[in-house]
Amino acid sequence: MGVVRKKSKSLAVVRYVLALLVVAWAVFLIYWGVVTSLKPPAETFTISGISVPVLQFRPTLENWKTELSTRESRFTLTNSVIVAVFATVMAMLLGVPAGYALARFQFRRMKNRDLTVWFLSQRVLPPVVVVIPFFLLMRTLKLLDTQLALILINATFTLPFAVVISRQAFQELPVELEEAAAVDGCSDFTAFLRIAFPLAAPTLVAVAAICVAFTWNEFLFALSLTSLKAKTFPVYLAGAEDTRGVQFWFMATRAMLALGPPTVLALLIQRYIVRGLTFGAVKG
Amino acid sequence: MGLKSGRIKYPFILPSMIWVLAFTIFPLIYSFGLSFFRVRLGKPATFIGLNNFIRILSDYKLGNSLRVTLMYVAITVSIQLVLGILIALLFHQEIKGKSIFRALLILPIFCTPIAVGYLGLTIFYEEGGPLNSILMSLFGWKVPWLSNPFWAWVAVLLLDIWQWTPFCFLVILAGLQSLPEEIYDAAYIDSSSEWEIFRKITFPMVQPVVVIVLLLRLIESFKIFDVIYSLTGGGPGTATEVYSLYTYRTGLKFFDFGYASALGYVLLAMVMVVVNLFFRRVRQVYE
Repeated sequence: MGVVRKKSKSLAVVRYVLALLVVAWAVFLIYWGVVTSLKPPAETFTISGISVPVLQFRPTLENWKTELSTRESRFTLTNSVIVAVFATVMAMLLGVPAGYALARFQFRRMKNRDLTVWFLSQRVLPPVVVVIPFFLLMRTLKLLDTQLALILINATFTLPFAVVISRQAFQELPVELEEAAAVDGCSDFTAFLRIAFPLAAPTLVAVAAICVAFTWNEFLFALSLTSLKAKTFPVYLAGAEDTRGVQFWFMATRAMLALGPPTVLALLIQRYIVRGLTFGAVKG
Repeated sequence: MGLKSGRIKYPFILPSMIWVLAFTIFPLIYSFGLSFFRVRLGKPATFIGLNNFIRILSDYKLGNSLRVTLMYVAITVSIQLVLGILIALLFHQEIKGKSIFRALLILPIFCTPIAVGYLGLTIFYEEGGPLNSILMSLFGWKVPWLSNPFWAWVAVLLLDIWQWTPFCFLVILAGLQSLPEEIYDAAYIDSSSEWEIFRKITFPMVQPVVVIVLLLRLIESFKIFDVIYSLTGGGPGTATEVYSLYTYRTGLKFFDFGYASALGYVLLAMVMVVVNLFFRRVRQVYE
């Protein structure tokens, strides 16, 4: 018995070390981005190895101050926020009722299951397939380089999340509550708004966060459809390299500004991520 | 299932359906139409029948991007799956601080891909970047990460594996945790080895989840664009010019809209073939 316990203890240590290695690997890129953004520009290329702040150099917030006071970065950050928020609102306004209808009512001509898969199939579509028709369409509608164009497109590409996951959230609620409300003379709409919607709210908030993150990270459409006025932060990030050469300290600062908001959102909705990203196929 | 009156059934679902028809189906049909025309900026479109598709057959740059893409998809997805399973098995045991580790492992999934590419640029920097300086001090040689076609391709793979292995891990771990404990008790009484338990019990039971992960990763991998746009720009030469990048350039850099539409349809067809292999499985999920 003693031998077994000893063996399992050393195994536990091995496991722990392996786990630490995995985590170190997973955060290394982000760590490197943070560290580089805190380096004084003159020292960016002279600090060796993994550049531990404080030990190997004096961290400074200069890069962040410069970056955040640049007109273009503030302007593109604002654009990114506007596009992400409105695209998400649009996707939720369309998707949550559709999810509710799929969860609570029987469709005859096309089965509920097939309708759900139909909505889902949107995610299969590689964006590059529709970027050209969208470009021509937006040109015809005089919507090139507008936030509206990006809002419409991102709402389209995040709609499957909203429909499929809200359907599942509503399915998991007991239908009896809404039925009781109906007996009390509630209309279907009131029952949805007053009973089902608040109960499903936590999942719906998580879905909204996923929509915001995906829209925030979206690059191809923003690159193709905007040039000046509606440029989002990722497009600014992509253009900045050409204009300033290999200034890694700014590049890292911008990269951190780009990935900050979606990663923070992800941490806030941890519990829902597995379900969200697998469209409810796997419950986390 | 179902409320009685159902008066709100259609008002609730029709807006979404119309939206999808307007913003997905219509552009797809429009693009299909375009693929039979020569459409260039500022010139009237001319009908050229199947010429765009015939051109595809002899387009050597397309052949290259097809090869780059398929190789990339096959290799990156299999490595991610294997690593994902291994890490999930590791974390499926008692480990102190597991929830913090798990939270940190979520981060890569949500990182802006374009930003990941630029961070990659600073990591793979050949003169004094962190990777090369570590390699220099350990082995005395460095890797031409971005100037050599093969290594540039490896760099793209590494970034992609970095970003998406955590996704595989997270979902497979959720799958493992949903398995009933009792099965293991029985297995241990039969005193099978760990490997045998994994092969005969754990893997078959978690296999449906692995299939979902595989499908989702395949679909997403075919879309790759951002990381390559920022890390290598498709280069050196055309060594990492994946299909999406080639299509994008054809359409929106050289404004050859008709041909780019035809290219897009070929990509869509490939993805559809892959998805169809899984179609029955997907329908079961949403029963």
